[in-house]
Amino acid sequence: MITVENLVKAFQSTPVLKGIDHSQQRGEAVVLIGPSGCGKSTFLRCLNQLELPDSGRITIDGVSIEGGRRRRTAEEREQQRQLRLRAGMVFQSFNLFPHLSVIENITTAPMVVKGMAAGDAERLARRLLVKVGLETKADAYPSQLSGGQQQRVAIARALAMEPKVMLFDEPTSALDPELRDEVLRVMRQLVEEGMTMLVVTHEMQFARDVADRVLFVDGGRIAESGSPEQIFSNPQQARTREFLSRALTR
Amino acid sequence: MSDPRGRLRSSTHSLWLTLVAVSGLLLGKTVSGGPQTAAMDSGAPAGGLDEIHRRGELLWGADAEGGAPYVYPDPQKPEQLIGFEFELAEALAARLGVKARMVQNQWDQLIPALERHNFDAILNGLELTAENQQRIAMSEPYFVYAQQIVTRTSTEAITRLEHLKGKAVGVLSSSVAQRLLEKTGGLDLRIYPGNVESFLDLKAGRIEAVLLDLPIALHYARPDPALKFSGEPFAFGYYAIGVRREDAVLLAALNRAIKDLAAEGALERIYRKYGVWDERQQRLKDYRPETVKESRRISTLREWPRYLPLLLRGAVTTVELSVLAMALAVVAGLVLVLMRLYGLTPLRWLAQAYVEVIRGTPLLIQLFLIYYGLSQTGVRLPAFFAAILGLGLNYAASEAENYRAGIQSIPRGQTEAALALGMSRWQAVRRIVLPQALRVVIPPVTNDFIALFKDSSIVSVITMVELTKVYGMLATSTYDYIGLGVMTAGIYFGLSYPASVFAHWLEKRLCHDHG
Repeated sequence: MITVENLVKAFQSTPVLKGIDHSQQRGEAVVLIGPSGCGKSTFLRCLNQLELPDSGRITIDGVSIEGGRRRRTAEEREQQRQLRLRAGMVFQSFNLFPHLSVIENITTAPMVVKGMAAGDAERLARRLLVKVGLETKADAYPSQLSGGQQQRVAIARALAMEPKVMLFDEPTSALDPELRDEVLRVMRQLVEEGMTMLVVTHEMQFARDVADRVLFVDGGRIAESGSPEQIFSNPQQARTREFLSRALTR
Repeated sequence: MSDPRGRLRSSTHSLWLTLVAVSGLLLGKTVSGGPQTAAMDSGAPAGGLDEIHRRGELLWGADAEGGAPYVYPDPQKPEQLIGFEFELAEALAARLGVKARMVQNQWDQLIPALERHNFDAILNGLELTAENQQRIAMSEPYFVYAQQIVTRTSTEAITRLEHLKGKAVGVLSSSVAQRLLEKTGGLDLRIYPGNVESFLDLKAGRIEAVLLDLPIALHYARPDPALKFSGEPFAFGYYAIGVRREDAVLLAALNRAIKDLAAEGALERIYRKYGVWDERQQRLKDYRPETVKESRRISTLREWPRYLPLLLRGAVTTVELSVLAMALAVVAGLVLVLMRLYGLTPLRWLAQAYVEVIRGTPLLIQLFLIYYGLSQTGVRLPAFFAAILGLGLNYAASEAENYRAGIQSIPRGQTEAALALGMSRWQAVRRIVLPQALRVVIPPVTNDFIALFKDSSIVSVITMVELTKVYGMLATSTYDYIGLGVMTAGIYFGLSYPASVFAHWLEKRLCHDHG
């Protein structure tokens, strides 16, 4: 479902990703952990082209994009859009559209991008709101919701485009601890339904319980990869051990 | 009378003056800063012959800006003033046994400035009329003026006042010609702030004739082969010196001095030097003063039903101009900001250069270029369209900057979220960024609209007669700066305040329930 080959990315002259290879099966839930600034978020943002990689190749559900700094042709921009349509994204800061109601936040993209009829889009949105437990909030505005509720709307908004994979970029980091569970519960449910997911998080418990595979990213490389059992109980790398001992005692 | 002065500052100056008048401060601010021989606003108030002798100087008020051939900077030696009135003042002062010192003052504010003791006398093409004599005391005449029609060399059949009917005719603001033609009626009267502009439009074919005081015509139009004097001068009148009513001793001394200079032939010598001597000056001898009784001062506030409708008619033009110019600015500004933020590189540069150039140059110059500059290349926009274009394109730059600030205040995450959902760049801008930016942008755009509304008074320099211009015209003929000023300011406020209330309401409504 996802294949990444030798992904390289630098900001100005600071290298952030130094050659990442990754491959992921349909229905697999992968969690990325690692210290801040290790490149895990950048990796995720490269996958749906919010950052353009300097080199390497990304393939999601058969759509491929080559990295490189150049002006994109119309054809390449269309490829880019196709890639984004296959990858739903959930942001740390939710990024709901404050001028639109909850239901409009969800229906706008299907209508504008896919040309879905208003009625169909609304039915879809209401079904998704039920799924994230916010069916009563359809007409509210984002500012009237708690952080946890906003993030659940953001998940519903991404799901409305019916993506093949879901990318989560630290979805609970901006939330108070008591609000994190409601978001994690929705994510857990998505994993159970067989969604292909790539999650950047500091929630070690979530990684341990839900992930099929955990990647430890360090210094712009995938330093270690394995089942949660392997990574958490028997890490091979000193850096992984060091990171986990700090992360788990926190 | 003449207004041979470029009154470019007068429109904005008048509005400012309104406020000054309303707040009860000094009237008729002296516009200082001319050639060095002109006195700056003198600290001690001027007054009376005794005072003049004690001081050793006769302070005389005049406007040397575009003042040829009356009083103007010597083209060969710009720090030195010359002109037939300048030399007359020197000669008169010598008679009084003192030196003469010119005090620079905007022409149409000379009488208020005299009244507030900025100088002892006005010697600057002030006509000997009952109107003026109701306000101040006037000397024996020192010059006989007449009105002259000037046309293009090719024009035939405009030689008399009646021939001007139905034609577009240019006059100087506040001049005798303006009042004459206003009384005549039935023609398209265009009012210009200075001499050069009316002749430019005459040559460009925007108007058919210019009517003005003979001395000015002699100086500005005679040397131009494209222009000619059409018909004989008519509507004779006298220039005389104005002093305050209480300075009867000074008046008598000046009258004696004028008589002596005329008798000695000194007047003729001076006038010949500047090419303004003619047979008509013989009439000075025949002048017999008529007694003018002082009528009560006009209070335009008490007679508001006569004046308010005139002002309101000007206000209609102001509103039309402002609304149309703002509509242009709002749309053109949007095009500019989209070019600048999302366009290809050359478009970005173009939009940025436009904004910088427009913001870095005065609106006045832009209006002149659009109205007079373009007309020289053959594009002759009517004044109304030139005014809308000038104001609109000027404010477009400022709206573009407002939009840019608004758009850039929307967090990047909003665009990223839209792109991540598969929207194209344009869809993200149109559906997500612009609607949010709109709210941010409404207050500054409304402020700009109110500013434009008030700035629109500047278009009087390209012959538009709008609210401030009507105020200026009425104030200079009634001398009631306060009453008219209160009414004019009231109209401006009455129109701009609802606009700001509306904007406030709109802003609140748009913010309703949203983040």
